[in-house]
Amino acid sequence: MDDIDAMFTDMLEEMDLLTQSLETEITEPKPPSNSSSKSNSMQDLNFSIGFTDLNASLNELEDNDLDALMADLVADLSATEEKFAAERGSVKPQPPPAVTVPAAHFAPAAPLAPPTHVPHSAPGAPPPSKPKNELPPCPASNAPNLTSNTSVPPPPAVSSKASAEDVEAQMKADKIKLALEKLKEAKVKKLIVKVEIKDGGSKTLMVDERQMVRDVIDNLFEKTHCDGNVDWCLCETNPELQTERGFEDHENLVEPLSAWTRDSENKVIFHERKDKYEIFKNPQNFYMWKKDKKSLKDMKDKEKELLLEEHFCGTSVIVPDLEGVLYLKEEGKKSWKQRYFLLRASGMYYIPKGKTKSSRDLQCLVQFDNMNVYYCKDYKIKYKAPTDFCFILKHPQIQKESQYIKYLCCDDHWTMTLWVTGIRIAKYGKMLYENYKNAERKSSSLSSVWSNRNLQPSPSTSNASTPSPTPKAKAANGHPPQHHSEPVAKGPSNQSSFPPPPAPVDILPPPPPDPTLPPPPPPPPAWAMPVKKEPNPPRSAPQHSQPAFPPPPPMDFPPPPPLSDDAELPPDFLPPPPPVMGGFMSADLPPPPPDPFHTALPPPPAPFNPPAAAGGDLPPPPPPPPPPPASGALHPTASQRRVGPPPPKRTTPTLSAPSGGDFMSELQKAMQKKRGGQGQ
Amino acid sequence: MAVWDLSVSVEELGAEAPPLKISVTSDLHIGGVILKVVEKTQISKDWSDHALWWEQKQQWLLKPAWTLDKCGIHADARLCLTPQHKPLQLIMPNGVTLRLRACFSSPVFRTVMGICKLLNMRHPEELSLLRPAEEKKKKKQKDEEEVFDITSAPLPTGSIVKLANGMPAFFTESPQMENVYKMLSVSQPALPPETIAKMYRPTSKVDKAQVNSRWLDSSRSLLQQGLKENDKLFLRFKYYSFHDLTPQFDAVRLTQLYEQAKWAILLEEIECTEEEMMLFAALQYHIGKVSTTEQLVASCPAMDDLDSALQCLEVKMEAETSADDMLVCMNIHTVCFLINLPKKQTLKKYKQFWFTFKDTSISYYKSKEESCKEPIQQMNLKGCEVAPDVSVAGQKFCIRLLIPEPEGMNEVYLRCDNEQQYSKWMAACRLASKGKTLADASFSSEVQSIQSFLAMQRTTPGSKAVQSDDSINTHSLVSPRYQKKYKPKQLTPRILEAYQNVAQLSLTDALLKFLQIWQALPDFGISYFVVSRFKGCRKDEVMGIANNRLIRIDMNVEEVVKTWRYNTMRQWNVNWDIKQVAIEFNGNVNIAFSCVTADCKIVHEYIGGYIFMSTRNREQNDTLNEELFHKLTGGHDAI
Repeated sequence: MDDIDAMFTDMLEEMDLLTQSLETEITEPKPPSNSSSKSNSMQDLNFSIGFTDLNASLNELEDNDLDALMADLVADLSATEEKFAAERGSVKPQPPPAVTVPAAHFAPAAPLAPPTHVPHSAPGAPPPSKPKNELPPCPASNAPNLTSNTSVPPPPAVSSKASAEDVEAQMKADKIKLALEKLKEAKVKKLIVKVEIKDGGSKTLMVDERQMVRDVIDNLFEKTHCDGNVDWCLCETNPELQTERGFEDHENLVEPLSAWTRDSENKVIFHERKDKYEIFKNPQNFYMWKKDKKSLKDMKDKEKELLLEEHFCGTSVIVPDLEGVLYLKEEGKKSWKQRYFLLRASGMYYIPKGKTKSSRDLQCLVQFDNMNVYYCKDYKIKYKAPTDFCFILKHPQIQKESQYIKYLCCDDHWTMTLWVTGIRIAKYGKMLYENYKNAERKSSSLSSVWSNRNLQPSPSTSNASTPSPTPKAKAANGHPPQHHSEPVAKGPSNQSSFPPPPAPVDILPPPPPDPTLPPPPPPPPAWAMPVKKEPNPPRSAPQHSQPAFPPPPPMDFPPPPPLSDDAELPPDFLPPPPPVMGGFMSADLPPPPPDPFHTALPPPPAPFNPPAAAGGDLPPPPPPPPPPPASGALHPTASQRRVGPPPPKRTTPTLSAPSGGDFMSELQKAMQKKRGGQGQ
Repeated sequence: MAVWDLSVSVEELGAEAPPLKISVTSDLHIGGVILKVVEKTQISKDWSDHALWWEQKQQWLLKPAWTLDKCGIHADARLCLTPQHKPLQLIMPNGVTLRLRACFSSPVFRTVMGICKLLNMRHPEELSLLRPAEEKKKKKQKDEEEVFDITSAPLPTGSIVKLANGMPAFFTESPQMENVYKMLSVSQPALPPETIAKMYRPTSKVDKAQVNSRWLDSSRSLLQQGLKENDKLFLRFKYYSFHDLTPQFDAVRLTQLYEQAKWAILLEEIECTEEEMMLFAALQYHIGKVSTTEQLVASCPAMDDLDSALQCLEVKMEAETSADDMLVCMNIHTVCFLINLPKKQTLKKYKQFWFTFKDTSISYYKSKEESCKEPIQQMNLKGCEVAPDVSVAGQKFCIRLLIPEPEGMNEVYLRCDNEQQYSKWMAACRLASKGKTLADASFSSEVQSIQSFLAMQRTTPGSKAVQSDDSINTHSLVSPRYQKKYKPKQLTPRILEAYQNVAQLSLTDALLKFLQIWQALPDFGISYFVVSRFKGCRKDEVMGIANNRLIRIDMNVEEVVKTWRYNTMRQWNVNWDIKQVAIEFNGNVNIAFSCVTADCKIVHEYIGGYIFMSTRNREQNDTLNEELFHKLTGGHDAI
């Protein structure tokens, strides 16, 4: 990591220099930059650019250089592939090129500041995605990828001169800014974490210190193709203390991990834990634990909701009123002593000998500010605990046996779950509920992605025909469609601005004139689409623009072929030219399956990623692709409304309301009646 | 139609004056009667607020169109023409007594609405009026408390002009009025502990049930309940279900709620643990301190944002400039004494080292000269526990650090030479424990708050005369139980310990935090009643009524026997003749009881009231469904 850090520092310095030189360029934009950029783009595709080359001329400072630099940087951090995929910055910009470029044509003279912004970031973003690309397919696929992005600027340049130059210069400046940001970001503390997955496998990913556990989990969903239900939990285990704790979704992952000792054998595990959100699925078991289990079993959803509302939605979170006998390991001794414990929002208390339950007498065992709660394993053997249902409370930094750890032991598993959950509520309060709602939203959006995927690709690809909900099946059929999705998503961005090599400069001039007109219409639908639930329209939108655009591109599409790996892909890759293919794609691919982009991340995923990874973060109008997932993500949340508790019914002798039925409505009726009576 | 004489006494003529006789017919309507009476008095004034009160029937005649016949009034009736709004002494939750005009003719529910409108408190349905406890011995010598007169305010029946921040305009009419409003919207300074100790404190749940017998009936008017002009009443939050508490609009409401909560805790009406008490005390101290400098009333959100942004900026710039100074500072003043306290060793020996503080770490060296070399040890304080061990009298200024390490906690004591040094190092340690550095904007305020706390310790022992505004007796922040248990010098460090977690809160946040912790107490929001004749049970028991459930409590052990949630309630009935409340729950569970300590109307109103509260939702905020409230809480005679 240190090396990388050092490298980034170097980079930053260089970038500073670069920006300085660029500033001069901005003042007097030079037309040649375009062509050079193109040539560069072709040469540097393979990251051959040496970013230490300080002599780089202005020309070489073109966007693609920066992109390449970035890409290179990222490539170095080969372990980080996924991280960037999850990163919103890279995700968002991706789609815009298709939309914004036309916009630039449309009103070149206008101060395009906002729209242009998007494109810059777009080129900046893709490179990072490249390494991801490298994993599943072969590196060669980068080439088209890069060019497509970098070539964004040319069209505007041609269409309108001076203003376009300005725009371009601006773009460059912005791009550099972005690059700088990225570099700064590189200074953020990062850890490479190996996450064990319960089926024996493991995944390695880079986690940056700003990332929340939730982000990491989403990341893992993509990597592992699991069903993404809310029970999935990232846990840390400590073999020395024999403990396990599920990280809460809102925690920063890096922080607790930095508490590990250097020689730590601690692990991060990714698996399902039923107890993670059990409190929200069956709140009655926690809040009414004294009542007999049978009566609670068939509690209605409405009542559960009411319980949650009462305890989590008020000004203050109400902690379950847990109390009962637990064993406490005596400090520094091997014996365990029974004590009567009570849980309060302010901490865990016990009744001292000879005292009563009254609050003033309670002795505080711990307050939760600096304490975390951990499940323990095999303490019967390790500490001669009365049972194996133990949990401990300790400062997260403590990694070894210590007198500062509070060891507690319960009679049975359920009691332990009760207490541990209760303590979590006391400690995290409303946050837990937010986490749960978030997780629920994500999981339902994930599942909606599945179903979408399953419906649409089936006609096109025989292999994607089984709409099975099990993770395995998904993984299986996920792969084939994935290929399609990649090209598809690329499609829009490529088409719009594919100046490619073979058909050089002359091809570009013609398109601009027409493009200006046709593109405008498509954007609106594209913008509107994501909100609505139609996957197909958005797809067609970019297609409209293609023909208008560089009709030549078809033949210029040499890059695709290079994709050695994706031999079958090329066809779909060029959506516009081969009409058959185009139809094929527009019809089937629109809602590309989620897996595809998990593995084949590059640019296409961008649009899809958000729903999966960033949820609602993508609202800006990511043009075509996102629709299905986005709508899926939005949908479940919509129905988060609470209704007042069904008030019981009251009958006063005078007020003869029939028993049964809805009390409130009856009241209302009665009142109306009365009012009516008075009126007469 | 026969003409007969009706006798009407008019308050304006004086109590001694004989009633006026006017001749009426049975088909004369009430409005006509009033007109005749007014003409006969020959007093010209605004009579619009006057109405007729029928003494024998204890009834207002408020429908001007009704004829005497329809009202059932005959020649033997004694009527009284009197203003509907009369002054009332209202004791607010914060103890301030206001004299204001309240409506004596409408149901108390509406009277409270009027009062709240006048005082700019939203959601009046949560409040009600409480009679004062009957004082056994009338101690007249007790100096009369100051009463703040706001009877000049417009009547709540009309519309009240409000300023942008919701403050009724009439409060700005004079400095006195403004002062009153300020008193309502800013928490009151703490009372001396002796005063608190003298106040009545309930010791059992039975005691706590007493207060609930004093609630006025919401469905009848003040006059009907025997209240007279200038009587004293308490305004209190009755239903512990606070809807939509928005600091921006609720300056008075929030402050009064805080005051009520504060007094509930200080007077042990609600029990809490020692740790909780210390936190409450710390928050009280903080709120008291911040109230003097900060205004809760928010003007307009946009301006707020701007202001806070500007402030933030200022603070940042200050911090940036001072950060370097600070570092230097910390390096110079750093001779401390340290000892790693081995377990079981009670004798504390201190040894002198040279200390430096950087970022969140403390390093120490043999001497200043060696400070350029490797430190003997470096300790990162992030996540550590910081506790003071201070005695101003004994000139002991120690900081106890519990620094988490993989093996456990490292216990370190730092001893400073003097108060100055101590407060700086203490502040630095506290910030570091939260992961903040010396450069953080809050450093100087932290130092200040530590110093003011030390000052508090200095002044409390004995020397009352010296007490300045800044110093508060820590004893007045805790309930008498803890006043007895701890000496101020024991108490101060404990409060200080709790204080470090709240010291950075804004006034609003501190108030909300106080309310939050209060609401999280297990016994929060339960109103007690002693009830008898639970089915199959002869002895008296305690019934607790909360916002979502009924709780049956054993009177002797004071333990919960059973709870029933309202949402499983099917219906409830009140048999007014035998004063029994009968409730049916799902699954054929029936309970019935009669209330010993209070009228069953009060119990009934509590249950109905809570159900009413639960029907409120965020959408229809401003329209209070008064009719529904009365449906749910009214007695048989109210409908």
